[in-house]
Amino acid sequence: MSIDDWRSQIKRGTLEFCILLMISQKPRYGYEIINELEGWSILAAKESTVYPLLRRLMKDEFLTSFWKETTEGLPPRKYYSITETGRQYLAAMSEEWDNLLAAIAGIKGETEYGQDIGKLS
Amino acid sequence: MDKTLENYLERVENYLRPMAVSERIDIVREIKSEMLELQNDGKTPQEILARLGDAREMARGYIGDLISSDAVFTWNRFLAGCAFYGVVGFSGMIIVPTLAIIAPVFIAMGILTPVLSMIKMLDYIFSLGIPYMQNIGIVFEGILELNPITEFLVALPISALLFLGGRGAWKLLLYYCQSVGRTKRKLSI
Repeated sequence: MSIDDWRSQIKRGTLEFCILLMISQKPRYGYEIINELEGWSILAAKESTVYPLLRRLMKDEFLTSFWKETTEGLPPRKYYSITETGRQYLAAMSEEWDNLLAAIAGIKGETEYGQDIGKLS
Repeated sequence: MDKTLENYLERVENYLRPMAVSERIDIVREIKSEMLELQNDGKTPQEILARLGDAREMARGYIGDLISSDAVFTWNRFLAGCAFYGVVGFSGMIIVPTLAIIAPVFIAMGILTPVLSMIKMLDYIFSLGIPYMQNIGIVFEGILELNPITEFLVALPISALLFLGGRGAWKLLLYYCQSVGRTKRKLSI
């Protein structure tokens, strides 16, 4: 498996978490989310990924949406905001994320320790 | 709006045919909104189309959800379903009614037996003359005649056994139903 495959697997697993995190800060619209994700190459996602994902999160009742008029002749934007259920889901995800990071840190520590032992003997 | 962009939206909407009209309109409106936003940022129609990618790919993102949420038919699943419902249907035909009758009846008998034999014993001791008492009791016609006090003492272990048997049948019934449910979930049929 190439590193790109692995990256895309990680992205698939974490995009939902990142998008919910962004929307939990303030209501956002799709284009804004995609633009912001582009700032981190590991998270960069196309429209054909992000929009369907947003729709699924709405179906699961983690998000709601509303259309809002804009100024300066731009078309209305579809804003997404997080629901109470979404917040609970996000909190649970955050906890699991911390568990994962702790686990990786723990395993890394062990590995380095193991290597040190290897070097000594 | 540019003709090629309009065309793109039309194609996306076409691919989204399996979805409800209201959803389709909403999806297309959202993509259109981004197109105009990009146009406003000075992007050319070609750049916009390159960014959005293939119309079919875009639609697949939405419809893929629709397809994967329905169960997929395969022969293996079909056979697993046949085997599962065959076994469950046949065993359930015997096990469920048997246990469902045994459990409450045995429990009720386990409670009633000592109560009734106690009434009979009290009737005997105090000569209360309660009617129908001759119909109650442990009867081995012509072989064994017990007096009501002995009868009451004998009834106690018997009713304990009945009660335990009934409770056991009830637990077994629950266990049967739960394991059927678990198996079904595991097979996801």
